[in-house]
Amino acid sequence: MKTTPDNSGDVRLSGISKTYGSFTAVHPLDLTVPEGSFFALLGASGCGKTTTLRMIAGLEEPTTGTVRLGDQDVTHLPPYKRPVNTVFQSYALFPHLDIFENVAFGLRRRGIKSVKKQVEEMLELVQLGEQARKKPHQLSGGQQQRVAVARALINHPKVLLLDEPLGALDLKLRRQMQLELKRIQTEVGITFVHVTHDQEEAMTMADTVAVMNGGRVEQLGSPADLYENPQSTFVANFLGTSNLIEAEVDTKNGDDLVLKAGGGKLVLPEARCSAPTTAGGKVLVGIRPEKISLTHADDAGEIPAGRNRLTGKIADASFIGVSTQYVIDSPVCDELAVYVQNVERDGRLVPGADVVLHWNPAHTFGLDAAQDIDAGTEEEVAA
Amino acid sequence: MPFVNWLKRRLVVIAGLLTLAYLLLPNVVVTVFSFNKPKGRFNYEWQRFSTDAWKDPCGVADMCGSLSLSLQIALWATVGATVLGTMISFALVRYRFRARGAVNSLIFLPMAMPEVVMAASLLTLFLNMGAQLGFWTILIAHIMFCLSFVVTAVKARVMSMDPRLEEAARDLYAGPVQTFLRVTLPIAAPGIAAGALLSFALSFDDFIITNFNAGSTVTFPMFVWGSAQRGTPVQINVIGTAMFLVAVLLVLSSMVITHRRNKQKA
Repeated sequence: MKTTPDNSGDVRLSGISKTYGSFTAVHPLDLTVPEGSFFALLGASGCGKTTTLRMIAGLEEPTTGTVRLGDQDVTHLPPYKRPVNTVFQSYALFPHLDIFENVAFGLRRRGIKSVKKQVEEMLELVQLGEQARKKPHQLSGGQQQRVAVARALINHPKVLLLDEPLGALDLKLRRQMQLELKRIQTEVGITFVHVTHDQEEAMTMADTVAVMNGGRVEQLGSPADLYENPQSTFVANFLGTSNLIEAEVDTKNGDDLVLKAGGGKLVLPEARCSAPTTAGGKVLVGIRPEKISLTHADDAGEIPAGRNRLTGKIADASFIGVSTQYVIDSPVCDELAVYVQNVERDGRLVPGADVVLHWNPAHTFGLDAAQDIDAGTEEEVAA
Repeated sequence: MPFVNWLKRRLVVIAGLLTLAYLLLPNVVVTVFSFNKPKGRFNYEWQRFSTDAWKDPCGVADMCGSLSLSLQIALWATVGATVLGTMISFALVRYRFRARGAVNSLIFLPMAMPEVVMAASLLTLFLNMGAQLGFWTILIAHIMFCLSFVVTAVKARVMSMDPRLEEAARDLYAGPVQTFLRVTLPIAAPGIAAGALLSFALSFDDFIITNFNAGSTVTFPMFVWGSAQRGTPVQINVIGTAMFLVAVLLVLSSMVITHRRNKQKA
C-alpha cells in the first residue's frame, strides 16, 4: 500500500492566510509537509490550526496564498475534487447509513462498483469486521473513531487530515488510539496532518510539530527539538513547563555567554540563545524542571564546578510516585519548578529547607526578554 | 385485599386501555354506523345491519366528486407546502440574513391567528384582487396555513443536523447535488415526512378557511357539513371508515418493514 516517493504527497502552503471581515484567523504562512510524514499543528483553541487544516481540505478558501499537493495547485479546487480526506472532530459519521455504507461512501461517489472486498479489508484493518451492519450510534466512541479513520483511508488519499480526532475520547482510550493511529500511519505510509491542542499527543505521534499561536507558526521542528530548544516564551511554556529567569548579558567566554541574574552568574551556550546577545542586553534564561538537581545547602560544597547554580528555599513539595515536584523560591525568581526522580531521596528536602539548584549549562536556553514571560502557560491560554 | 393488589399491579395498563378506548370510540361509532340502514334521512339511530352503503359508496349525488376534489387539493397543498416549507427551514437555519428573526416569528402567525379571522381576511384579499374563487383560491389558502406546520417540523430536524456531515460528504467526493441527495435529504427526511403528513391531514379536513374561499366549489368537509343540514347519508361513514383503515394499514406496514429490516441486520 506504500505510495512511491514521487513527492505527490507533499503539502506546500505558500503565503496562505484567512481573514473573516476584520478578524485574521491565519496570518500569511509558509509550510511544507514532506510526503509520508506525520505532521502536527499544535496550539490552543482559536490559534488558526483548524482553519489551516480546512484550507488544505478545501472546506475554506484561503484569502491569499496557494495550496499545493505535490506539483498540483489545488487552491481553488472544491473538496470533492481533492485527493485529500479528513477525519472530523466528533467523527461526523452519517447517522442514516450503517458502518459498511459509511466506509463505502467515498468509493461509491467515485463510481466504483465492487466495493465489498475493499470495505471488508479496511474494516479488518481497524478491527471492526463484526460491526459492519450496525449504525454509528450503536458503537462506542473509540469504535466510531476507527470508522472515521477507515472511511477516510479507504480512498487512499495523498494526505489524511485529522481534526482533533481524539478529543472526544477518555484519557486511557486516547493513549491507545494514539499508538493505533501511529501504527496505521506507518503501515499505509500516507502523509498525516494532525490538528491538536494536546501537546503530549502532538509529541507522541508526530515527526514534526508546528506550534501555532495567534494565527502564526511560532516554531517548527521535531518534538525533541521544540522541547529542548524553544525559541519563544510561548513554545517554552506551552510544551511542558519552563523556568524562565530574567538576566542580563555580562560577558562572552568563547562559545558561552555569561549572564548576571540577581547576585549570581549563569552560563548559557550562545548557540542556544534566540535573543540578541550584546553586552548589557536583557534575556530570559530558560531551564526545564527535570534538568535541575537539588542539593541541600549544607552539602553545597559537593556540587561539581562548572554548573549553573541558584540558591533558594523549598516552598512546596508534592510526591507523585516516580518523581517529586518541588516549588522553590529563589532571590532571582519566585516559584521555580524542579522535578526530582525518586531514586535516592534526601529526607532533608522538605518545605522550608535551604537548597542549591544546579544544572549543566548545556541545558540552558535563552529567549528574548521583550516577550510576555507568561505566554503559553495554562492560565494564560485559558484566559 | 387480593382484588386491590391485582388492581394496583395493573393500574398503568388499565389507565392506558381506558385512554385508548376514549381515543378510538368515535372511530368505532363511525365504523358501526357505516353498516346501518337508517329509516329516515338521518343516520343517528341504529336500525339494522346492512352493507348497502359499502356496495355503493358513490351512491350519493356529488359526494365522490367532492371527495376527489378534497384529495387533489390535499395532495397539491402537501406538495407545495412541503417544498416551500423545507426550503424556508433550510434558509432560516443555515443562513444569517437581515430580518431573519422577523421571518422566523412571522412564519408562525398563521398557526396563532384564529382560523375564522384568517378566513375572512383572505376572502377580502381575494375579492379585492378580483380573483375567481374556487380550486386555486382554496389551494393557495391551504398551502399558506400548512407552511407554518412544515417549517416547525423540518426546522427542528435541520437545526439538530451537524453541518460537519455535509462537509464530510463533500470531503468524500460527493458534489453539491450528491451531498444533498445522499446526506442532507435522508437526514432531514423524518422531519419533512412529518410536515407532509400533517399538511395532508390539515388540508383534507379544513372547513373554515375553505368554506370562506371556495366560491361555488364544494370540498368533502363542506359536503358533509351541507348534508348534515338535510340528512346524513351512510356513505359519509363509509368514507370515514375507509380513510381510517388506510391510515392504520400504512402505520402497520411501516412497522412491519422496520421490524424486518432490523431483524435482517441482527
